[in-house]
Amino acid sequence: MRIALEHLTKKFGHVVGVEDVSLDIRDGEFVAFLGPSGCGKTTTLLMVAGIYRPTAGIIRFGDRVMNQVAPKDRNIGMVFQSYALYPHMTVFGNIAYPLKLKKVPKQEQIARVQAVADKMGIGDLLDRRPGQLSGGQQQRVALGRALVKQPDVLLFDEPLSNLDARLRLVMRAEIKHLQKELGITSIYVTHDQVEAMTMADRIAVIQNGRLQAFDTPDDLYDRPKTLFIAGFVGNPPMNFVDVEIEQANGAYYAVSPALRVEVPPDRGAAAAAHGGRVVMGIRPEDITIDPTGAVRGRVFVVEPLGRDDLLDVELDAHTRLHVLADPKLKVGAGDPVLLKLDTQKVQFFDAATERSLLWQ
Amino acid sequence: MATATPQHEPYMGSPADDLAFERISTGELVFQAVYSALVTVMLLEIGVIVFRVLEPLVHHAPALFGSGATIDETFTRTIGNALMTLAPFLAYAVAGHKMKPLASVNRARALGAALAAAAIVFVLVTMGQYVFRIGPFAERPSLEMTLRQTDAGILVEEVVSGGTADRAGIRPGDRITAIRRVEVTLAELNTAVRQSKVGDVIRLRVERGDEEEQFPVEVAATMEIRPAALVAGLVIALLFAAVAVFWPGGWTPYALLIAIMLPLAVGYLWLIIATFSFRTEGLLPVNAQGEVGGLTLRNWEFLWREATGSNPSIWRVTLNTLVIATAMMAIVLLVSSMAGYALSRMNFPGRRTFLSLTLILHGFPAVTLLIAIFFVLRNIGNIPVLGDYFGFNTRGGIALVMVAFELPLGVWLMKGFFDGIPWDIERSALIDGASRWRTFYEILLPQIRPGLLALGIFAFISGWGAYLIPQTYSIGTKTATLAVYINQLTSDTAPVNWNEIAAVGLFQMLPVFLLFIFAQEYLLNIYAGGTKGSS
Repeated sequence: MRIALEHLTKKFGHVVGVEDVSLDIRDGEFVAFLGPSGCGKTTTLLMVAGIYRPTAGIIRFGDRVMNQVAPKDRNIGMVFQSYALYPHMTVFGNIAYPLKLKKVPKQEQIARVQAVADKMGIGDLLDRRPGQLSGGQQQRVALGRALVKQPDVLLFDEPLSNLDARLRLVMRAEIKHLQKELGITSIYVTHDQVEAMTMADRIAVIQNGRLQAFDTPDDLYDRPKTLFIAGFVGNPPMNFVDVEIEQANGAYYAVSPALRVEVPPDRGAAAAAHGGRVVMGIRPEDITIDPTGAVRGRVFVVEPLGRDDLLDVELDAHTRLHVLADPKLKVGAGDPVLLKLDTQKVQFFDAATERSLLWQ
Repeated sequence: MATATPQHEPYMGSPADDLAFERISTGELVFQAVYSALVTVMLLEIGVIVFRVLEPLVHHAPALFGSGATIDETFTRTIGNALMTLAPFLAYAVAGHKMKPLASVNRARALGAALAAAAIVFVLVTMGQYVFRIGPFAERPSLEMTLRQTDAGILVEEVVSGGTADRAGIRPGDRITAIRRVEVTLAELNTAVRQSKVGDVIRLRVERGDEEEQFPVEVAATMEIRPAALVAGLVIALLFAAVAVFWPGGWTPYALLIAIMLPLAVGYLWLIIATFSFRTEGLLPVNAQGEVGGLTLRNWEFLWREATGSNPSIWRVTLNTLVIATAMMAIVLLVSSMAGYALSRMNFPGRRTFLSLTLILHGFPAVTLLIAIFFVLRNIGNIPVLGDYFGFNTRGGIALVMVAFELPLGVWLMKGFFDGIPWDIERSALIDGASRWRTFYEILLPQIRPGLLALGIFAFISGWGAYLIPQTYSIGTKTATLAVYINQLTSDTAPVNWNEIAAVGLFQMLPVFLLFIFAQEYLLNIYAGGTKGSS
């Protein structure tokens, strides 16, 4: 089922929840809505579900305009962060509820619920009540309930946020596998960019109710169109330094009081064309500690992450860079270090509009 | 619904290890002291009640324990006084007990704090005793003179100037020989004074020189302050507190609870005994001659008494009450749950105003509306058909008014319960294909079932015990409820049979009592306002 949102807007009184969001979701596609808390991603999802009525704009499933269609007639399945199971019903009752409402014959209900439950690995828990299940099992029940009516669209509202880290990894893989296997168009709301990056075919980044970007994970990572996306996607986040671009002997240099590095000519030229001060972005993994490095700094804080150490390196009073370093280097706080910046993937943004100078 | 992640709390140590316990602020000290003083007052009350119940037992000791057993009447007073005197010391013990957690950290500090608290309690109690003239400040019957036993009678050593003896004309140096014509010793005279009431007149035969004369002396109430008693009291208070600090804890709360609950239990026991007795003195059934015994069923006669003109049959009245209570329960449940849902889940103009208005209505004393409602009911009575069932002097009308008074509470309660259900569950049901109405009764109502049960029982009990409204809006006996029936028992011109009233009261109480036994778990929901169902 193809889903199209056209200029979708939702206002609560004078508060704008979602403003002018337009995007096209292809049939069978897995799309993530990514953004910080309160950015409007859940509001958008609830409009797709039919819980909220859009203030303006159009929602289409296929060619049909859904704005006035009640939730029960949209044939969607939804999984909530709080699982939203019916506590007074058994697991069977929960999963069978959508079928019961559709007046599916009793025998067929039993068969379909059993099939879904077996698929979810909860086939032996059908007599239990939600209160007797663990968080992971409850989430499987919720998923089963969403799937049992064979929906055209699956909606996920931060479904993994209440699970512990291990279980989250397992469920992440299962949901992704299930979605590909069933080929149901899915929208997945999350504030966790790792979840969005790993699961989604395309990610819609939403900030303050506005759609910032709608791209594949790779594009978002390598070609961020705004400063917000560059900062939001990627962990640890990208470093930003205010620089000026200097041109000398056909080479381009990014210059600030704290550093002076050569940048690739194509990116440097695009930034220089803008002129004046620009924001340079560089990811922590593109900076290395190297005796031949040209940037001088002092380690401010060391945060061991296990595989890497995350260093907070102070260049001058105004500039600090996050650097991923090998723990074997045994760098301590206060140590002077030399940094080498791999500028092949450096990003440039307009300081005022926060738009990328490289990608439009 | 919390995450099921197992989490291991780091070891925090027992509260007693907490350094905060090392210091006790003055505020805390005073708070504990005031708390202890309140406990004192409660214990005093218990003492009085127990005393009142025990007194007749002692009174009838000969009948109970054989004619040989006689107990001086002052014995019961002694018990009562002992209880009253002991009560404050329990408070000192409580004050000390409060410092126990500290004792496991720092014994010296705990002892100091306990002593300080006990001293504060002592000052508070002493002030209270002074204000209410009890304990060491009790006013005792007295003749306001100092006497000494001599061979030649009782010698008056001093007379309080302006006191009752002085006013009667007794002077120092007089010798008291007899009360009226009965010769007395000092001990006998003191007993006589102690057993008399303030205002009684004791006629003393007094020898003055060679003359003999009778002086009528009115018994006065005098407060004697004995500093030694106060000092002794303080010492004992400190001792109690000190002991309590190091007292092995555990059973103390139970002991306190039992002590506090005892008078209540005794009260109900008393009620039950009274219904089967001709008359009672304390807990003892007593017959017409004032002797122990006299168990009878005559108080329960109302159960099979035929209805007469002014006295309806109890069964008719019970049916009335049942109809009103059940109707009330049904209507309150229906309206409250739906109104509560709307107020909790829907946004409509005037929602906030409605909420505050119902709250105000809840606080409105029903009495003030009686006259206005009378006119409303009378007007309803003029409506054809409807008026026959919901007008003035109908069971329906009474139920209607009662429901109106009960609804604000019900609506607010139900709103609270609905507020406790997460939005997501309702959204989930809508997406699963349920209509809003179906979501309400199939998904939401089952989750607030504890609340519904509690409110239902609440409404039923309130209808069952209804008095003011049925009494006001029913004429004669047609729509009388049990409470009204009890009232009619007292308004007869014949002497009131209180034991029969107790019997009817017990009869009325039984269903409520049973309800409470089976439903206390749900009723706690109302008082705690929680939502157990949404786990």
